[in-house]
Amino acid sequence: MEEPILIYNIFHEHPFGLPIAIYFYMTGMSAGSFLISTMSYGMGIKKFKPLGKVGVVLATLLLVLAPLNLIIDLGQPLRFWHLFPYMNFKSAITWGSSLLVAYPLNCMIYGYFMFKGDAKLTKMFGLIGIPLAISVHGYTGFILALIKARALWNTALMPIYFLVSAMVSGIALMILVTFIQDLVRKEKKLNVDLAADLGKILSITIIFDLFLVLSDVLVLLNADSEAKEGAAMLLTGSFQPYFLGVEIILGSIIPLFLLLFPFTRRNPVTLSLASILAMIGVFAMRYVMVMGGMSLHLS
Amino acid sequence: MTRYAMVIDIDKCTGCFSCAVACKAENAVPLGVWRTWLKMIEKGTYPNVSRSWMVLMCNNCQNAVCVRVCPTRATYRREDGIVMVDPHRCIGCKYCIAACPYEVRYLNPLKKIVQKCQWCNHRVDMGIEPACVNACPTDALTFGDLDDPKSEVRRIVDSKPYQVLKPDHGTEPRVYYLGVDMAVMRSSGPSESDREAGENKKTGLHVGVERRVDKRK
Repeated sequence: MEEPILIYNIFHEHPFGLPIAIYFYMTGMSAGSFLISTMSYGMGIKKFKPLGKVGVVLATLLLVLAPLNLIIDLGQPLRFWHLFPYMNFKSAITWGSSLLVAYPLNCMIYGYFMFKGDAKLTKMFGLIGIPLAISVHGYTGFILALIKARALWNTALMPIYFLVSAMVSGIALMILVTFIQDLVRKEKKLNVDLAADLGKILSITIIFDLFLVLSDVLVLLNADSEAKEGAAMLLTGSFQPYFLGVEIILGSIIPLFLLLFPFTRRNPVTLSLASILAMIGVFAMRYVMVMGGMSLHLS
Repeated sequence: MTRYAMVIDIDKCTGCFSCAVACKAENAVPLGVWRTWLKMIEKGTYPNVSRSWMVLMCNNCQNAVCVRVCPTRATYRREDGIVMVDPHRCIGCKYCIAACPYEVRYLNPLKKIVQKCQWCNHRVDMGIEPACVNACPTDALTFGDLDDPKSEVRRIVDSKPYQVLKPDHGTEPRVYYLGVDMAVMRSSGPSESDREAGENKKTGLHVGVERRVDKRK
């Protein structure tokens, strides 16, 4: 039997665009850099100490800039304050509007005490920040996961998938920052030990991320017809270059090889390359999720 | 209590688009967006071919997803079941557009707030029927109170086989369809012509007249 032909239908504009993908990307990197920062100042792992200060500065900056993407995406940007007096606690956006205020504030307090040298208060606000950093990025996963209408979004894997990819982009950023910091300070030797240690964590998170992608796609392929259409779009359809090409091959498999191969895993050039590729891959994941999820027409 | 509902009898519908036009005029719906429209498909091979269609509009669901996801409570459900958007409250975050399983909401390109079919609540409040029901030349659309045992909608829903769109989403739609082909009720799926959609974006027009010629063997 032949497929029926669509003669006429109305498709309205896609609700979300690039600013939303950029927002997800920036909150993810912020959460990732914050968690690396608290490794030394919150949990007392000494070797990550060089990244404590720069980590919190980046986490704060990214999380102050990230919500601007949301505000410019609004139809009525000047009405953004409606989010606070008229809260709806069933909406994931409302959870986010409180988190997006609490988390940067906590980052600033944590950073203030760190630069002041108050170890005890730094540790306290660092530890308070860990659940906040996880929630501020975890909730973005729920924003998509709670939408039953969109087959690609409506999976319980989404929050953890977002968190793991946030760690990938955050750690990759920290590897780059390690080298940039040393170059700016004109150190005689680059801190390759620290970068290689981060590289090890990065390879583990990338493997976990790939496992989540595999689970997601396998379940989509065996779920209802819309989920199958979504999976087909990722694997063979219009999103194939972004998904298979950039997210999986360029952004996960190549960096993974560079991080595991003995000749490249301690080389500053290949480590940086792996980090840049991993960051590009995570951006592709955000783009594919936001745009791909919406490109299946529902009417 | 009042519980409004719409019955759309496609067996009576001639596909004349009067409802879509009347809605545009009544609600000043801007160019490029629609509150109610027709979806049409063709199926079969000569000599056994047919065209099926249905009228689409907001289902004003009993358990509306848009009401649940709206972060400012700009979208709310009236006591009588009509799902409303407060034009002064809406910030245009478009989360409801993403969440609606029926894709019947749009961002007003002029006012930059989200709008949708509200069953002409201003007319209903005055005791007259919605513009689309009034315009339909074959009485295919029936609007009324489901809780009133003497109403026409209640009689049809109680006595005839009906269908609703995507009942598995648990939204409890309040638009009941009679005589609709399943092939047209199914979602349109992935956009086959990304290039065409891009061209529409430039002009600000998003009326998608899409022909799935590539699926033809």
